[in-house]
Amino acid sequence: MLNYVKLEATRMLRNKRYIIFVVAFPVGFYLLYSNLWGAQADESTGLQGRIFLLVSMAAYGALAASIMSTAVPWAQERQAGWLRQLQITPLPGWAVIVTKMITALLLVLPALLLVTLAAVLVQHVSLSGQLLAVIAAMWVGAIPFAALGLTIGSLLRPDTAQPLAMICMFGLALLGGLWFPVAMLPETMRGIARALPSYDYADIGWQIAAGKVPGTASLAGWVAWAVVLSALAVFAFRRATVRG
Amino acid sequence: MSSRTPDERHCDRRSRAFTVIGMNAIELSGVRKSFGAVRAVDGLDLTMEPGRTVAILGPNGAGKSTTISMLLGLARPTAGTVRVFGHSPEEAVARGEIGAMLQEGALIPELTVRETVDFIRRLYPRPLPLEEILRMADLTELAGRRADRLSGGQTQRVRFALAIAGGPRLLVLDEPTAAMDVESRRAFWESMRGYASAGRTVLFATHYLEEADENSDRVIVMARGRLVADGTAAEIKAGAGAGAGTVAFSLGDQPAAGLDVLPGVTAVDIQGGTVRLVTADVDATVAALYRGTDLDVRDLQVRGADLEDAFLSLTQAAEV
Repeated sequence: MLNYVKLEATRMLRNKRYIIFVVAFPVGFYLLYSNLWGAQADESTGLQGRIFLLVSMAAYGALAASIMSTAVPWAQERQAGWLRQLQITPLPGWAVIVTKMITALLLVLPALLLVTLAAVLVQHVSLSGQLLAVIAAMWVGAIPFAALGLTIGSLLRPDTAQPLAMICMFGLALLGGLWFPVAMLPETMRGIARALPSYDYADIGWQIAAGKVPGTASLAGWVAWAVVLSALAVFAFRRATVRG
Repeated sequence: MSSRTPDERHCDRRSRAFTVIGMNAIELSGVRKSFGAVRAVDGLDLTMEPGRTVAILGPNGAGKSTTISMLLGLARPTAGTVRVFGHSPEEAVARGEIGAMLQEGALIPELTVRETVDFIRRLYPRPLPLEEILRMADLTELAGRRADRLSGGQTQRVRFALAIAGGPRLLVLDEPTAAMDVESRRAFWESMRGYASAGRTVLFATHYLEEADENSDRVIVMARGRLVADGTAAEIKAGAGAGAGTVAFSLGDQPAAGLDVLPGVTAVDIQGGTVRLVTADVDATVAALYRGTDLDVRDLQVRGADLEDAFLSLTQAAEV
């Protein structure tokens, strides 16, 4: 299976779309935003802008990476017959979804690490134990988004998976408060934001960065989303790989 | 990758030794496959010994691909049983006994030929060496090229390489040359014969008659989900009754005795020193004429009922 993980990772690292959305966008936005608001403090968390934005952009990068590396490639593999190619080898069926999940999480790392690197080098954020805890939480926290991507890739054809993955990626980032702080949004939008896994995900990061224990609401929200989306991913995967 | 314990692997190897002797490569009995009201395969009984190359010939919609899907465990029969080397298709696939080239199958665009082939070969318990696979599929020169920069014919060669990568005992090819030009086809069949020559079993589906004729030692003709003929290409031509073949030559004043008992011969006609033999098996008759008699055969003329005639008459009969 290591062989398979390596193949999948190699393949995505050569994919231009992945590099643009996952590496260039979050790092670019971080540099831009932190330059504008890096010195201001966020009201709700008390975090400095450069750290608040570090968490936001790391969350966005991880979200983008986990959806990008799953939904469309998987939909294409199913349609183009690569899945069938695998089904007639000794590779067991469960290894495909497990590998996709592991690879998606591996591919989250470049996004997290590059945004962190930009924060450390350009904004002189110090690499503390807290920051490492944030990175670890953001890494594991990407599971529901990878599951969402796999669900999309299992249920839809590439031409419909593509726009839906984009909508999910940008919708979750925008409405979840990764691009603009939720506090800046009107009340109804705030309600929507709090219901989304992307808000729970980033909020856990912000709380850890602020030296607090993440709130129960965000933790419970994240766990609920992780369970539901993973169950959906497994169900959709089984449906997509069933033999006639 | 395998989750099997060393003990189980050991057992596998022992049972392999037993299964080689007297075990059919493929056994289909009473196999039916329905999709809703449509019977794609309708009562198929078939056994195939190991080490042979068998063609499944039939028009589109004859049930060839459905049969292949069931052999590979990609589809389950509605009724009947399918065994591959004594196992269910799923087990045979899991044991690495089967390699296949399906009709459709894109490669991963970002990966090179070498990466793709090496990945697939490592999934098998007893793969062929990488360089040997590349050589057999004529890909050595293209090994470093990315899949999205290959031509159609080159992609087909990679897919052939993927099918043989695990060194499977049974190689299944579903219309492998459909997208190839004449030269690629010739090279492809040469590669296939190279793989088959090591005592492996090959089953291929085609609707090109000459491919079945030239590359197999047994032809199974399917139409409407049923087996309509089974034998060597020559037997099928003869058995179809699509006009017997004739062998004519100058006899001069040599004796004509014994010509009527040559293999396949059904009638002998001699006029003015020229013999015309009507035969059910042109190949066998000609061979026997040269090897089995000491006649001085001159001006040999052979007009065979070709496989095309046979095929048409067989498949049309099944339509009724």
